Amino acid sequence: MNGAHDLGGMHGFGPINREPDEPVFHAEWERRAFAITLAMGAHGAWNLDMSRYARERMEPGEYLRTSYYEHWLFGLQLLLTEKGFLSEAEIEQRMRDIADETNAGSES
Amino acid sequence: MPVLKAENVAAALREGSTARLAQDLPARFVCGQRVRVANINPQDHTRIPRYVRGHVGVVDSDQGVFIFPDAHARGEKVAQRLYSVRFTGTELWGPQGKADTAVYVDLFESYLAPQ
Amino acid sequence: MFVYHAKLTGCRTEVLSKHKHNEPLPETVLRVKALESLLVEKGLVDPAALDELIDTYETRIGPRNGAKVVARAWVDPAYRDRLLSDASAAIAEFGFTGRQGEDMVVVENTPQVHNMVVCTLCSCYPWPVLGLPPVWYKSAPYRARVVAEPRAVLAEFGYTLADDVEIRVWDSTAEVRYLVLPMRPAGTQDLDEELLAELVTRDAMIGTGLPRSPRA
Repeated sequence: MNGAHDLGGMHGFGPINREPDEPVFHAEWERRAFAITLAMGAHGAWNLDMSRYARERMEPGEYLRTSYYEHWLFGLQLLLTEKGFLSEAEIEQRMRDIADETNAGSES
Repeated sequence: MPVLKAENVAAALREGSTARLAQDLPARFVCGQRVRVANINPQDHTRIPRYVRGHVGVVDSDQGVFIFPDAHARGEKVAQRLYSVRFTGTELWGPQGKADTAVYVDLFESYLAPQ
Repeated sequence: MFVYHAKLTGCRTEVLSKHKHNEPLPETVLRVKALESLLVEKGLVDPAALDELIDTYETRIGPRNGAKVVARAWVDPAYRDRLLSDASAAIAEFGFTGRQGEDMVVVENTPQVHNMVVCTLCSCYPWPVLGLPPVWYKSAPYRARVVAEPRAVLAEFGYTLADDVEIRVWDSTAEVRYLVLPMRPAGTQDLDEELLAELVTRDAMIGTGLPRSPRA
């Protein structure tokens, strides 16, 4: 598909930002998103090309605005819901539950 | 397939999962042959970057037979020959390209036509 | 919502913004936690396997692997020949095999040719020899620019090649993974394989850099 992922030759991005002594991951959520993606891939419910196609289906503006592991996370959730492992409603509910717990924890 | 357990992680990563297939297929193109990349714009998954579509390159090497990704993304396992195709900077980018730079792109046989 | 973000990512927030790495939405952090919690609860994911996957790529598999391959090719002409003719097998001699390195090709730099590697469509990269790719390799500017203006990109990384050197950019659009075999730096005839490996940088094996000089 002619999505935002097909970047070769596009103009206007500016310089390549490099980070000296860059860590492998920049945050705990990146570590977990990476590992969950690999672990769920091992079930064999989808293949690598399906994973790529899932990430490519991110809305082009959003693809360009977000970071690499956010692309992975988008693809992971799309596959999890398309293949029936989880529903969007239960993901949203669990997010609210975790947010409430975190909030309660920080107030105590 | 079963849940990936911690004790199986190292072996699973070491083993990997090659997309190369043992199956032999006749080669439609030979090294050194000029080929033109198809100008196709499928709505679903493909591995032809837009910047080579419609352009002419030279087959640099025959990489062997692999799972064809466009079909694989739909769950179909189709074998197809893969080639590394060389494009000059000027072919790809016109007056803004450079003749002393070349881009090598791995392209499946069905993406290519003889030129 | 910002409170959750600061709380969950801690000091990383500062690192992310300093490097203009797109900052995740607080929602992103929550979403990852929600997915993990649901998948563990349903028995689909073993949390210990997640820790093991992370630890593998954070501490065990990285560019030091590739550096060993390059140093061996510099000191052993027969190994270099095997590496250039069947890279997957030659690299497997070190035990570096598997995920995202199943089908390897090594491209050799010479006085006439400089090679660079990219994946314009996603982030393909030879994990067994280089580990996970740095953010810049996966970023839009690198993926967009290196196929169109490799000399300008190389100059941005601090390297200018002679005008008569041809630059070859390898776009990893299929399942073949590329590793650059850089030229052995001058003045290293007395160094053994182990010391040579220390000169081989990750960027030299992507082609956006050159090996360190022994005096540097």
